[in-house]
Amino acid sequence: MNSSKTKPKRALLDEYGATSGKMLQILDYEGKVIQAERLPKLSPEEIVTAYKNMLYARTADQMAVSYQRQGRMYTYPPNFGQEAIGVAVGTVMRDEDWLVPAYRELSAWLAKGATMKDIFLYFGGHEDGSVLGSARNMLPSAVPIASQLPHAAGIGYALKYQGKKDIVFTFVGDGGTSQGDFHEALNFAGVWRAPVVFVIQNNQYAISHPRAHQTAAQSLAVKAEGYGIPGIQVDGNDYLAMVAAVQAADEHARSGEGPVLIEAVTYRRGAHTTSDDPGRYRTEEEEQKWAERDPLKRLKGYLLDHQLWDVAEEEPLISQYKKEIDQQFTEMENHPYELTDIFVHHYADMPDDLKQQMVAYEKFLNWKESQQ
Amino acid sequence: MRFVFNFPDIGEGISEGKILQWYVEKGQQVEAGDALVQMETDKVVADIPSPRAGVIVARFGKEGETINVDDPLVEIEIEGVDGEEARDVAREKPRPKSEEQVEEKGFGVVGTLEVAGDAAHLPASDEGAPEPSARPERRRKALATPVARAMAREMGLDIDDIRGTGPGGRVTKDDIRKHHPAPAEPAATTVAAPRVEHEPLSQIRKAIARNMIQSKHNAAHMTVIDEVEISELIALRERYKAEFEAGSVKLTFLPFILKAVTKALQRHKSLNSEMDMDNNRMIYKKYYNIGIAVDAPDGLVVPVIRDVDRLSFMEIARQLAELAERARERKLSMDQLKDGTFTVTNYGALGGRFGIPVINYPQTAILGVGRIEKKPVVKDDQIVVGRTLPLSMSVDHRIVDGGEATRFLNDVMRFLADPASMLIL
Amino acid sequence: MNIMNMVQAVNDALDIMLAQDKNVLVFGEDVGVEGGVFRVTEGLQQKYGADRVFDTPLAESGIVGTAVGMCVAGLRPVVEMQFSGFVYPAFNQIISHVARMRNRTRGRYAIPMVIRMPYGGFIRAIEHHSESMEALFVHIPGLKVVIPSTPYDAKGLLISAIESDDPVIFMEPKRLYRAIKQEVPEGRITIPLGKAKVLAAGEHVTVVSYGALVREVQKAMSLAKKAGISVELIDLRTIYPIDRETIARSVQKTGRFLAVTEGPRTAGMGAELMSIVNEEAFLSLEAPPTRLAGFDTVPPLARGEHHYHHSPERIFYEIRKLAEY
Repeated sequence: MNSSKTKPKRALLDEYGATSGKMLQILDYEGKVIQAERLPKLSPEEIVTAYKNMLYARTADQMAVSYQRQGRMYTYPPNFGQEAIGVAVGTVMRDEDWLVPAYRELSAWLAKGATMKDIFLYFGGHEDGSVLGSARNMLPSAVPIASQLPHAAGIGYALKYQGKKDIVFTFVGDGGTSQGDFHEALNFAGVWRAPVVFVIQNNQYAISHPRAHQTAAQSLAVKAEGYGIPGIQVDGNDYLAMVAAVQAADEHARSGEGPVLIEAVTYRRGAHTTSDDPGRYRTEEEEQKWAERDPLKRLKGYLLDHQLWDVAEEEPLISQYKKEIDQQFTEMENHPYELTDIFVHHYADMPDDLKQQMVAYEKFLNWKESQQ
Repeated sequence: MRFVFNFPDIGEGISEGKILQWYVEKGQQVEAGDALVQMETDKVVADIPSPRAGVIVARFGKEGETINVDDPLVEIEIEGVDGEEARDVAREKPRPKSEEQVEEKGFGVVGTLEVAGDAAHLPASDEGAPEPSARPERRRKALATPVARAMAREMGLDIDDIRGTGPGGRVTKDDIRKHHPAPAEPAATTVAAPRVEHEPLSQIRKAIARNMIQSKHNAAHMTVIDEVEISELIALRERYKAEFEAGSVKLTFLPFILKAVTKALQRHKSLNSEMDMDNNRMIYKKYYNIGIAVDAPDGLVVPVIRDVDRLSFMEIARQLAELAERARERKLSMDQLKDGTFTVTNYGALGGRFGIPVINYPQTAILGVGRIEKKPVVKDDQIVVGRTLPLSMSVDHRIVDGGEATRFLNDVMRFLADPASMLIL
Repeated sequence: MNIMNMVQAVNDALDIMLAQDKNVLVFGEDVGVEGGVFRVTEGLQQKYGADRVFDTPLAESGIVGTAVGMCVAGLRPVVEMQFSGFVYPAFNQIISHVARMRNRTRGRYAIPMVIRMPYGGFIRAIEHHSESMEALFVHIPGLKVVIPSTPYDAKGLLISAIESDDPVIFMEPKRLYRAIKQEVPEGRITIPLGKAKVLAAGEHVTVVSYGALVREVQKAMSLAKKAGISVELIDLRTIYPIDRETIARSVQKTGRFLAVTEGPRTAGMGAELMSIVNEEAFLSLEAPPTRLAGFDTVPPLARGEHHYHHSPERIFYEIRKLAEY
């Protein structure tokens, strides 16, 4: 490896800028380093930890789908195949930084401090899953597509106004880039030079709608040009490339230069949600092609190449994760749902007429009970 | 024709303006819209345009001079317009208050906003002061459904006077039906002989009052009145009177009347019935319990003889006597007072002739019997002395119509005029 | 004490709150440099700086959406929609996030935002500038909706709205912006949200109204007085949550109820107020609760709008029908 460390990071955003047409890649599909000068500054321990986090996220994701199929949890959007992106953001993100998610970035959620119990609660139909008490400075899912992006811009403005050095990381999918809120948020953030890193997870599909039909733009990164902000397209299944890109964006935003748009190219290896059947709109060949580019496969290849990983560790590790995750799931199942919670959280003080409605309903419940 | 164009209120409620610069001269031809003068107000500096085309005849006011709104500005000669019309044109249509006309380009706003004049403004709010409607409690207002209120109104009652026994103290329809106004205050007594006497209402009096009102309120009373010539019946009674007395039973005309009524009821079921509004049906009774109104010492009672259709005349007579005695001694049992299907009231015993009896609700009819009189009657085209019995029958017109009432009474009279028909028909 | 119209009263309230709380920001289209198309925010940017009072790109959803982010990060934005007819692009953010964030995070994140907008018609405006669609907001759980009818109330209610930790839609009846001048005390005054005001005590008919129509009802009351009808007038002020108690107490006394509102009749505020009367004062009713609302039409343009907006005569006509029922 040559002196990649001496190259200023800003050059990364220039060389791989929005209109360059280039996609940043450091690892090939087997995990071999193909661009050493772009390697991010990471210790071996950090890279191993990253792999373990991806493993945990994948395990948890598979178990979530399984719980749903068992009828113990409701509709769930799998993250299968996209693990590297969230883990990379988690590697760079600092404690006080804000995370404004969409809904399909499980590894980022976990990196921020959310627990599987939180996630199980949410998809188990319980509002407590959106409290995320153990994750600092994090918003819950945003179901209306791209509606979270203006929030991120607003938080960015607030951080500047408050003189803080923290920044905002926010996520959106390829489909979300068509929404008006995407345009408005990037525009506001650009005008305000708000410290926001916008991460597009381009997993090639918005449910059944392929990326090529979502926009006529040559890439999603190129849209950054319209807002006067830097954009970069990166291989989202390449953990090291993702970290390099996120680091560059982080520095840009945190130094007061304004927002950055990252397009992370990946593939949604699972269905849109557990109610979706991808066989209706894509081929097995295509799925197989992307299986070859899987993020865990590639990083494992890198680790094995550098003798940083022992495959024998994997099984027991996964077993341990499964036990922990199942424990979290049990806690979710035992988590009570209080009737009053339906009413008391809409206002700082519950208005009289809402109280009236609650009391009237309780009266009915008492009557019903007396009929047993 | 000439008209005078006055300095208009150009908005924002101004009252005066300073003439900065005249753009026109006397004798100058102007088009509608041409600027006449530049005015300065405390809001804007504005050009005032001419409302019409014409020739400037006169200018009013010098540059630097301050004039008031509605003061004359210029006089214009308009071609081809006659005098009256010109004056109307000159006068701006009066606006309610001054209005601010702001175009989209200028203020960035659309529309016309009303602007308050300087003269009047509201005083500060008395926020936090006790509400005007929080006064000491006035007379309590009754709680009642709209239906109940309508009922009270119909009955001419003030619903606020009625005590409510419904849920939450609500005044119910029943409360309204049972309500009777409080007795009027008796006149104050003087030192000399009292002009008014008070007597508390007895239970029986209260019951009678209640029943009378209930009957009159529910049944649609209609009365048919007639007389029947009963010489034959009188003769018949004479024949058997002694035999009855031998059995210690006084034979009056009542047993015959009861039998006649019963037989007639068998032919006219609607008079032996009850209207059951709650269940939307008529109840026709197949038994004949005739009540006899008795004038007892403390009031009217109506003991009942049961199953008159099955009793002999002797038995009826015997029961009549017994019930009358018990009534006088106030020894009637509940059983003897209930389950009547028809009532007979014999005020003839007291000397009365005709009446308009009140139905013993919830029965359907009542027969009033007056005193027998000797009267001239026509028989075979001859005037002879007849013995007539007056009958007054009230029926509930909701159930019995005129025709049926008449037919029934005719039957009763037939049986009484020709007693043998009771046996044969 | 100052004599102010509603524009000045709102400006005064914003001025006081900007001075009182560093977390308060004021932004929207044309509110900074120009001071707002109705001059409501005049002078504020000069006084407090362009990082606190500023103009945004032309994007209503973005204005409300970024304000959501600011709330979550601890600020108290007071945003302006230039006209109520232009709030619709922001509806997704309002329904999906502004109204909902507190509940879905079980109180972790509150949205103490105020969304101000001029609303209502009868000002000879072009299309889309005369809407009275407050019922749409009232129907969204999690919002508060406030409509003042006087300068004093505008100031007091706006300060309370900004200090409230709940999101408030603050709708200013533009017809009244300059039409009323009133004595307004200097400094901070507050009027509690959720409290209606009995403007006049009466015996025969309860009339509930708000916004620009309060004044028209007051004119109608003069006509009613001549006819011997005594009207109790209630200014609702907070359109949600509704002060049921004040309405109930009044109708329990008078037995007759009329709601006078501007917006379309079907599923409008009149229907809600009538329902409340039904629930709270049924046993006191002498006549059916009645609503006088706008037609179920788009508000007519200037040539026809006098048919749409209730005149004092029209209001009196309904009052008399009730009194004579």
